Amino acid sequence: MSSVKKIADTLVERIGAILIGKDQEIRLALACLFARGHLLIEDLPGMGKTTLAQTLSAALGLSYTRIQFTSDLLPADIVGVSVYDRDNGSFEFHPGPVFSQVVLADEINRTTPKTQSALLEAMSEGQVTVEGETRQLPQPFFVIATQNPATQSGTFPLPESQLDRFLMRIKLGYPDPAAERKLLSGDDPRKKLNNLKASINELTLEKIQSQVSNVKAADSLIDYVQRLLQHTRALPQLDNGISPRGGMALLQCARAWALMDGRQYVIPEDVQACLEPVCGHRLSGAANDQEVTSLIQQILNSVDII
Amino acid sequence: MQPTWQTPRPALLWMLISVVTTLALHVRHLPLWLLGAAALTVLWQIQVYRGAWQYPAKYIKVLLTLLCFGGVLSSYGHLLGLEPMVAILVSGFSLKLLEIHHRRDALVLIYLAYFIIVIQCLFEQGIVTGLIVVLGVTIVTAALAGLYQSNHNNQTDSRGILGAWFRPFRSSAVIIMQSLPLMLVLFIVMPRVGALWAVPKEQGSGVVGVSDSMSPGDFSDLGGSSKVAFRVEFEGDIPAQSALYWRGLVFSDFDGRRWSQSGSWGYRDGSLLQWYGDKPEPWDSQATRRGDALTYQVTLEATNSPWLFALATPKPASQDVALTRDFRLYSKRPLSSKTQYRVKSWPDYNLEVSGLSSWRRKMELALPDGFNPETRAIAEQWRQESPDTVALLNRLLKLYNEEFIYTLKPPLLGKHTVDEFLWETKRGFCEFYASSFVFFARAAGIPARVVAGYQGGERHPSEDYLLVHQYDAHAWAEVWLEGRGWIRVDPTAAVAPERVEMSFADLFGENKDFLAGSLLSLERYRHINWINNLRLRLDALDYAWAKWVLGYGNMQTDLLTSILGRLDPLRVGLFLLAAGALAMLPVAVMSLLGQEKKYRDDLDKFFIQFCQRMERAGITRRPGEGPRDFAARIQSLRPDLADQVSSLTALYEQQRYNTATLDSRNLRLKELRLKLRRFRPYLRSKVT
Repeated sequence: MSSVKKIADTLVERIGAILIGKDQEIRLALACLFARGHLLIEDLPGMGKTTLAQTLSAALGLSYTRIQFTSDLLPADIVGVSVYDRDNGSFEFHPGPVFSQVVLADEINRTTPKTQSALLEAMSEGQVTVEGETRQLPQPFFVIATQNPATQSGTFPLPESQLDRFLMRIKLGYPDPAAERKLLSGDDPRKKLNNLKASINELTLEKIQSQVSNVKAADSLIDYVQRLLQHTRALPQLDNGISPRGGMALLQCARAWALMDGRQYVIPEDVQACLEPVCGHRLSGAANDQEVTSLIQQILNSVDII
Repeated sequence: MQPTWQTPRPALLWMLISVVTTLALHVRHLPLWLLGAAALTVLWQIQVYRGAWQYPAKYIKVLLTLLCFGGVLSSYGHLLGLEPMVAILVSGFSLKLLEIHHRRDALVLIYLAYFIIVIQCLFEQGIVTGLIVVLGVTIVTAALAGLYQSNHNNQTDSRGILGAWFRPFRSSAVIIMQSLPLMLVLFIVMPRVGALWAVPKEQGSGVVGVSDSMSPGDFSDLGGSSKVAFRVEFEGDIPAQSALYWRGLVFSDFDGRRWSQSGSWGYRDGSLLQWYGDKPEPWDSQATRRGDALTYQVTLEATNSPWLFALATPKPASQDVALTRDFRLYSKRPLSSKTQYRVKSWPDYNLEVSGLSSWRRKMELALPDGFNPETRAIAEQWRQESPDTVALLNRLLKLYNEEFIYTLKPPLLGKHTVDEFLWETKRGFCEFYASSFVFFARAAGIPARVVAGYQGGERHPSEDYLLVHQYDAHAWAEVWLEGRGWIRVDPTAAVAPERVEMSFADLFGENKDFLAGSLLSLERYRHINWINNLRLRLDALDYAWAKWVLGYGNMQTDLLTSILGRLDPLRVGLFLLAAGALAMLPVAVMSLLGQEKKYRDDLDKFFIQFCQRMERAGITRRPGEGPRDFAARIQSLRPDLADQVSSLTALYEQQRYNTATLDSRNLRLKELRLKLRRFRPYLRSKVT
């Protein structure tokens, strides 16, 4: 049990050495991975989104590809194409970049909905179908998508139904002054990244992932989660509350969070820590992100834990 | 394209029900076309909600508004007055249904509905009206509640779709029930302020009563109405039926066709009205009152006129009631609603016994020229034949008795009404007799006048009060005799003595044509015993309502004085507060008991206790703050408590959220209890 905590702490420490001052976000990203979800990072350019994704895959020792999404990217550029092989006289499939354990989908909202949906299908099914043949994606399969805020020009914002496929959405934000100073005075993080060694292997990761669902959620905790969900559905500021799928995702993340804290049971604080990353992008009706943050805070403050 | 706000479905349902209820309440005062128009707006709103139609364009709305104004104007002929105003309000109210774009529009509609429902109380104040108004207010509150329940909750209602529809009504009913005690307190304590403004109500619209003039024919309508005119409660026994002449108006002026009150009242000795409590006017001494007085309380239905009814010779015993120069009672305001007043009457009296001054004599003898020459000639002739006044009048009464027939359906009369009646048709009812008798007496040189009012009444068998109906309306004569003053003569009694001795209804009870106009009137079926009992029961209930609820204003001062000792603003205010708090206590207790249910088990109680102790020590757990966060906060604020708090929190957390240790639960509970007992964060010195 405590081994998971130790692993998590080590990972946070190593990744934190490169992405300075963002320990909380790193923890959330790890929790998302442990809970077998996909991660959406939303922020302005240059905040370290790509660095986080790269460091994460390097520290986990997983195969990694990066797809830079542009407006002229086609679905075939992601899933791959069959090319005629003159030697064999037959078509041979050339897998696209999606056939990798960690896929960084950079600036996913720059491309057209058609291409977006090709990736999103892969995310939800764990497989891709090319030319009538279904091909399994490697396991574990973890997509980290980054997105610029939709208000920027030339973007295709993801619709709600597709946002729902991401277990978590996190924001990085500006580093605090101390962290920024360290960043400015230190070496180039990219250099450090090349020296980063994997802390765990695939097997360990799979073990951790299967442990997550064994973390206990007591009746009174489920009561609390239900009260939270009910509360969001009754809020007049929101068009829609959190869906049952959102509730399941919340509990799953809280489990991963508890496990990373070295516990075999979930406590309300776990749920509270996960509420904004898991549910923030699932609440529609709020005008902007700041409103979502304050709304979530309001929900947390008004629903009692007992 | 304006942003459209969708009314929550149950709210719309209740809003439409409110509109229909509101209109149904006022169905009797509204023109038919307005009801049709309102139904159209309801339909329109339904179609808009279904998406079939659109809200009308602005110019159509303006057109509809103008049409409604025009319609009201043409229906009533004027805009001032209660009914036209209500009609305008109702048309605006229903047109509002055509522009529910935002929640605030719905709110305007709902607030208007409250107002329009309560307006009903200006028209009627009966017990049934009261209940209907409460129901209406509940329905409108349901619409208001529905407006604040979101769509999503409806789908998750455990009682299904029907439960969702009725949920607003349930909450509204609960709110109304909870507010009833407070309403009672306010009813008892709130000072009754007089009307701030008087609303002129349509004259004679559906309200029958004795009118302020009389020409033969008027009273035949009244004869058929079984509505209650007034009720009388005597202190002591009810006098005999034949003594119950309720004087309302005195007609001294005759223009050949119509009897009316003396023009500009014609009296010249002092003020015409002597208000209750004022110094007696000089003319008051003209009445000699002897013997014991009858004291009684009259509850008069709305008449829209100021005339009050009393036995001769009365003295008012209520505020705002005056004695008139001709010794009747008069109210300060026209009676737009049920009114109570007390009267003292002396049945043994003389009026103006000392003689009539010349102007008075002239007034009571005046006859119009060019009318009824035959009667005048015959009266002249009789006068010469028998100089004795009483003998002359008796001769006339004998004539009535021998040759005349009492009927409610007399033949029509031409120009010389008295001539034709006395010497040709010889058929008629009280007005005809009173009119001809007074005319004849005046022609013979005897001062006489017509008195209109009610005669008799029905004794309520169990409740000991007298019911006077509209069909008891009557007209009789008063003649002035030298040395005796004004004497009441009822010529109708000479023709049909039963009319006076029996109640009117008993007299005509067998006759199916009497009350033919009111098929549904219980009165019509009074020969069926149980229906008659039911009718009397209902009347007793209505009377009790009038006496104790509507008439409470009269008793309020006495009641509050007896409770509080003395009436001053401070005492009344404190009483209001205390009684209000007392009334709301059950509601508060219920809601507190409801809260208790949330805490499910011992473990939670421990945690609550823990939080309470921390609160005493000055650190309050925020709602939504988990045990671990709370413990961390305590540790940073009170490092001295760190050990205790962390072990308590850990124990609680284990118990609460780690179900694996369920087996050892009881043991752990004990441990928790012991630890908590020793936990006294507020006793700082001891702990540190």
